Formats: sequence, C-alpha cells, structure tokens
Amino acid sequence: MNRHDLIVIGAGPSGLSAAIEAAHAGMDVVVFDENARPGGQLFKQIHKFFGSKEHHAKVRGFRIGDELLKEADAAGVRVELDSSVLGLYPDREVVVRHGDEVFHAKGDAVLVATGASENTLGFPGWTLPGVIGAGAAQTMMNLHGVRPGDRVLMLGSGNVGLVVGFQLLQAGCEVVGVVDAAPRVGGYGVHAAKLARCGVPFHLSHTIVSAEGTDHVTGVTIGEVDKSWQIVPGTEKHFDVDTICVAVGLSPMSQLLDMAGCDMVDDPRRGGLVPVCDESGATSVAGIFASGDVSGIEEASSAMIEGRISGAAIADYLGYLEHEGETRRVGELEGSLDALRQGMFAPKNRGTVPERTEEGCPVSMNLLEHGFLSDDEVLAYPGVTHAKGVHAVIECSQNIPCNPCQDACRKGCISIGENITSLPVVVGDAACVACGMCVASCPGQAIFLVDEGAGDGFATVTLPYEFLPVPTAGTRGRGLSRSGEEICDAVVESVRCVSAFDHTNLLTMRVPEDCAMRARFFRPSPADADEEAVS
Amino acid sequence: MSRIAEHPILGTPERGRLVTFSYDGRELQGYEGEPIAMALHAAGMMVHRYTAKRHEARGVFCAIGRCTDCVMVVDGRPNVRTCMTPLAAGMDVRTQDGIEPLDPDDPRAVRLASMVADAAERGGE
Amino acid sequence: MSDEAVRMTTNGASRSFSPAPLDRSRGLGDFVPAPDDDVLVCRCEEVTKGDIRRAVHDGMYTMTEVRRYLRVGMGLCQGQSCTKLVRRIMAAELGVSPAALDAETSRAPMRPVEMRVLGNEEAAGGADAR
Repeated sequence: MNRHDLIVIGAGPSGLSAAIEAAHAGMDVVVFDENARPGGQLFKQIHKFFGSKEHHAKVRGFRIGDELLKEADAAGVRVELDSSVLGLYPDREVVVRHGDEVFHAKGDAVLVATGASENTLGFPGWTLPGVIGAGAAQTMMNLHGVRPGDRVLMLGSGNVGLVVGFQLLQAGCEVVGVVDAAPRVGGYGVHAAKLARCGVPFHLSHTIVSAEGTDHVTGVTIGEVDKSWQIVPGTEKHFDVDTICVAVGLSPMSQLLDMAGCDMVDDPRRGGLVPVCDESGATSVAGIFASGDVSGIEEASSAMIEGRISGAAIADYLGYLEHEGETRRVGELEGSLDALRQGMFAPKNRGTVPERTEEGCPVSMNLLEHGFLSDDEVLAYPGVTHAKGVHAVIECSQNIPCNPCQDACRKGCISIGENITSLPVVVGDAACVACGMCVASCPGQAIFLVDEGAGDGFATVTLPYEFLPVPTAGTRGRGLSRSGEEICDAVVESVRCVSAFDHTNLLTMRVPEDCAMRARFFRPSPADADEEAVS
Repeated sequence: MSRIAEHPILGTPERGRLVTFSYDGRELQGYEGEPIAMALHAAGMMVHRYTAKRHEARGVFCAIGRCTDCVMVVDGRPNVRTCMTPLAAGMDVRTQDGIEPLDPDDPRAVRLASMVADAAERGGE
Repeated sequence: MSDEAVRMTTNGASRSFSPAPLDRSRGLGDFVPAPDDDVLVCRCEEVTKGDIRRAVHDGMYTMTEVRRYLRVGMGLCQGQSCTKLVRRIMAAELGVSPAALDAETSRAPMRPVEMRVLGNEEAAGGADAR
C-alpha cells in the first residue's frame, strides 16, 4: 500500500490550503477528492469575497480557486480526483475507491477536510423534481451552464439563500421571492439589498405550505407562521414556479472522523456533529486532523486559513518545520482568522441581533425584516452623506469584516481604519474623481456614485450592474428604489467596464433630482431593451 | 430549464463536443463529458425515476452525488447517479422504475416522451 | 475476503458520547394523528413522518431501533438526506432534546459501493488486484 507523509481528504479550499502549506515544508502530500473537479464549493462562488486584502477581498471565489490550484500544482501537491475515501481508521489508514478499484493508503498524518452537506427540510411535495438544494442550483448554473428553471422560489434567507438567489437572477431566472420562517433575514444585509432592489420580495415569518405538481413542480403555496411555527389560516400566498431552492443550512460531513474514533460533540452552533479538536485542528486521535467546514460551519475564507494552520501544525508534528517557525507562522494565521471572526455575524455573536452598530448607529430593522434600508434610515450611516458634485454613497450599515473600499480609493475619500468591521466613512473634504473603483470593489455592491445636482433638475447615480444584456448609453427605463419599486424615469448616460472592475459594469443613469438618494437600480423599458440606443 | 448561452460573470460556458445518446429509446443530444443529468435538464426532462413503493417521480435534488434521487439505468446498470456521471456518445439512458428500466408502454413513459418533445418544440437549447 | 475487506464490514467505530438511555416506562400518551403525517422524511425508503411517529409509539425509542424498524437511513443515500429530520421528529415525539438521542454509528463504506468493486480490492502491499 502507498505511504504518504500527509493524506488530505477533500480538495476544497481548506484541504488544498493545508496541502500547500505542508508541501512547502517539504512533505509528500496526496489529496483525495471524490469529485471530478477540485476546489470543493469554491468554483461555484461567483461573487466577490469580503474580508481584507489578506483574505482575498473583492476577488471572486472561483478566481481564488484558480490561484489555489496553481499554487498547489507549483508546490508539487498530488490531487487524485474521482477518488472516494470509503473509510478512515485510527492508525491513519484510508480505503479509497477509484473507478472500479479499491485500494489502501497510509499517512503519517491525515487531514479530514470534507466540508459540509446541505440540510433538508420536509414539506408536502418536497420530493418532486424541481425542488433542489441551493447548492444544486449553484452547481447547475456555475459549473455546468444550465439554468435550474425559469421561475424560482428561494427558501432560506441565510447567506447561501441570498447569494444563490442573486446568482439565479444573473443566470437569467426569475426569483419570485425569498421565504424564511424566521422573522429576520439571516444573512448579510447587503446581500439582501442586492435582491430587494431588483424587485425580489422577502417573505419573512413565512414557510412553505406545499409544493404542487404531478411529475415536477408547477407551483408553491407559502403561509405566515405564528410563534409556534403553525401556519396562520388566511395568509396563504400562491406562486407559479418550476423550481424551489432549499437553503436551510449546512451540516459538517464528519462521519470519517467519527469512524476513526475521534471524540465528537454535537454542537448546534457549529452545524452538527464535529470533532473535538484544538486550534490547530488536532483531534483526539494522534495524527488525525480536521479543518474547514467539517470542524464547524463557517465560510471559505476561514476554511482556507484553518487549512494553512493545520498544514503548518502537521508539518511541525511530523518534524518538518522547526517549532519556532511553526509557532510564528501559526500566530500570523491565527491573527488573520481572528480578524474574520468579528462583527455582527461572528460565530460568537450568532443568534443575537444588536440594537446598535459598534459606532452607535441604529441597526436597521427594516433591512432585517424586509431586505432593504428605508429612505430615512440610510442617512444614519457614516458612508451616506450629502455633498456637492459626484461623491461616493456607501450604504453599508452592518459591522462585517470588510475593507476593500478603503483600498480602492486613491483619493482618500473612504476610511475604515484598523478595525476592519468598522462601517466605512466617506470623508467630507476629499475630492472624488468618479473613477468608480469603490463601486466595483464593494463585495456587497453597496456603493454608488451620486451627483445630486447634475443640472437641469436631474441627478446621476452610478451603480454596479452584473447582468446581461448590458444596457447601452441612451437606453431608457425606470429607476428602482431600494425596495425594488419603480419610482422614476431613468436614462442610461454611460456604462463602463474595465478589467479592474472584473465584470462589474458601472452603469450611470440620469434620474430626477429628488430621486438621487432613492433610485438604486435600473430596469430598461421593454421596448428599449431590444432596440438600438437612442440619445 | 435551458442552457446559459452567455453568463455575465462566467462568460461562455466551456463545453465538450456535441454527441448523440439514447434516452428511453429516443435520440437526444448533449455535450460529451457533462453530467448526464444536465443533458437531460437542457432537453427539458426533469423526471429521472419513479420510486419503488409510491411510484412517485424523482429528479435532481442535490446535484452533487449524495442524495441518489437522480439515479437512472445507464448502459444497463441501475442506480447510476446521473448528476455525477459524464455523458458519453452512444450512452443508453433509461428512466428507472424502482430498480428496473421503465416499460416503454407505461403511460408514464408516454408522458415523459411528450415532455421532451414539447421542450424541443419550444426551442430546447 | 481479504483481511482488509473483513475489517471494513465489521469495524466497530467508537462512540464518544453516549446519552443516558431513555426511560421506557414513561408513557407517551396516545398517538395523535397530525396533518403532516403523510410528508416523506426518508426519501430513499419512502418513510413518512407519520411512520416515524407511530414507530416511537410502537416502542422504538432510539434512532437505532427506528432505523431497523423502518429502514430510515438505510437506503441508497445512507441517511445523508434524512438523519437530521428523523432525529428531530423522534425527539419531538419523545419530548426530549435531539441531543438526548443515540448517535448514528459511522461505518465504512462512506459511499455506496458495489460488491463487485469491493471484491476488486488490491491486496495490502500493492500487489495486483485479483
């Protein structure tokens, strides 16, 4: 049987990161992954990541995946695809299936980085074709170029539901609504806002009553729930849909660790059954480590850092790294990881809703309950100011570790500071040159360039636009409010996209002056959507 | 329920060469190497099998090889996960009924055939 | 079968947390039908919520018993889709927290594998497959 210094199970962001770290320390590393392609869920993430530069902020998930694969290749990491690990034993032996063969391999250390699987939720009709996991929709759209359906209902308002909901719009599907039994949106406010301004309604405190159809989904009924999760009679709403996406959470795929005899604990805050391990990922079984979502549901950014920490720790454990060097390296990585675990959505703050941000601004309940900031609420945030001429308006209202906007502006207009969860401040006396880098860099698509008095009773609003077809200058349409309501006529003045914007088009529309601080999305008029631009 | 021609972020999807395969005895086309389930989906077919006990329709649920709802009889073998199995030219794909291929004279088979025909008429790809 | 194959099928995984056994003398009261009893829970074996609730009233107080009684989690997906749901339903019926129920035993193979493939296993030491 083959022996390796390190066997990694799972070639997702965590597994690959660990393999790279271990390979750099001179170890012989093999990674087994059951899929045909490496990268786990990373290649399905087409949105720009949050965090700061060290966390690959503003880089799209799949590009981070590409970089990771290149690094793994350069480091001499062997990735064996179509290789299912069928069993893991306490003496660090694995049994692997590849094609029609089964073989054994043994590692001086084994890292389990198998990630998580999607939860399910039963409701009448949930077994009909057309009811799919949100991850399934992502796989279909972003890996295989196939639309899951034409009209979709999204169940679940956590980050997965919100992000996939937006991706469905980008793939050309209609999203009839986002439903969640909870009274508040579970994911980032900015993710919800992206959907709301496109006209996607939020139905919180609602659940699915039933999905209907014979051979596949043709419709769905939702209803409001009371405090005991019972449907309130008379609140039923029906939608014609062909697809229902279920985004109700993730659970660690920790069965291999369990069978290897690791001490396990059922921790709801980590998503389910996880191994008991220390900060380096060492489990209770000597030589077996765990990192990434399998050790607790978080996100790709933290999974990658955890992988590197485990990789360094394993190198130290096997004597490939001087302990001092490892301590230093792990110290850096832990600092980086800690920076991500702050703010309103930090694991330690899960389940609580603060009344005020760290700065003392009111946390918007409208955003949490309906998916958008109301007109008067926006002014409470330091990113939203009135000024003469073009200036950035940053509708960022929740403390999330994220600061690419600060780095984006070369004129010093935007300030966040040392603490990257701070809300961005638009600095009053800086001179905006309307380069648009901040608009394109914001992973939450929450930054706009506004010229409140462009002249003749009009204002201009520049917004991020990531849909096809891209409107052209002169296209007429309607300006939509944050809640997705058509509030005014709008004409496209220009659409810019440079490679630095990475596929985020900057659309500048002319709207009536009084809509400068209200219009936040552009919808072309049906006639003009097909016609050539008319000035 | 169709193919994305151009994606605002991902551009034009990379596809293998167009090949012909057999679905319930009828000729269909798909791209070599894509999951069988995607070729069927693009052709407007969402039903992969009927369950053994309650004879209910099932199709793709997780799309990642874990739920096993998308299994079909492929080249004579049942329980093949079509979301994970790459399409090859000349493959024989059949709707699974319990654990057997669906009888082509079964009214459900007739219904499925017309679903595919309708989708093709509406413009398929 | 080779030693390795035998080991795969008889591996006794260690359980690290074993909740106290539930008190079987405690009555649960009559089974009360609910409007969602017909909703499927185990997709592979087509077991409904009502089937599970009735099983509890039949005296199946642990996940292991319900699994053997109804085959929930024993179909093609091996419990990937239903286990969490079954646990919640059982716990609700028993009036306990889901954590109070016995955990599933994790065993190889972690993914469905055909017998002919298992029979194709390489002998340890890297010799040719049979």
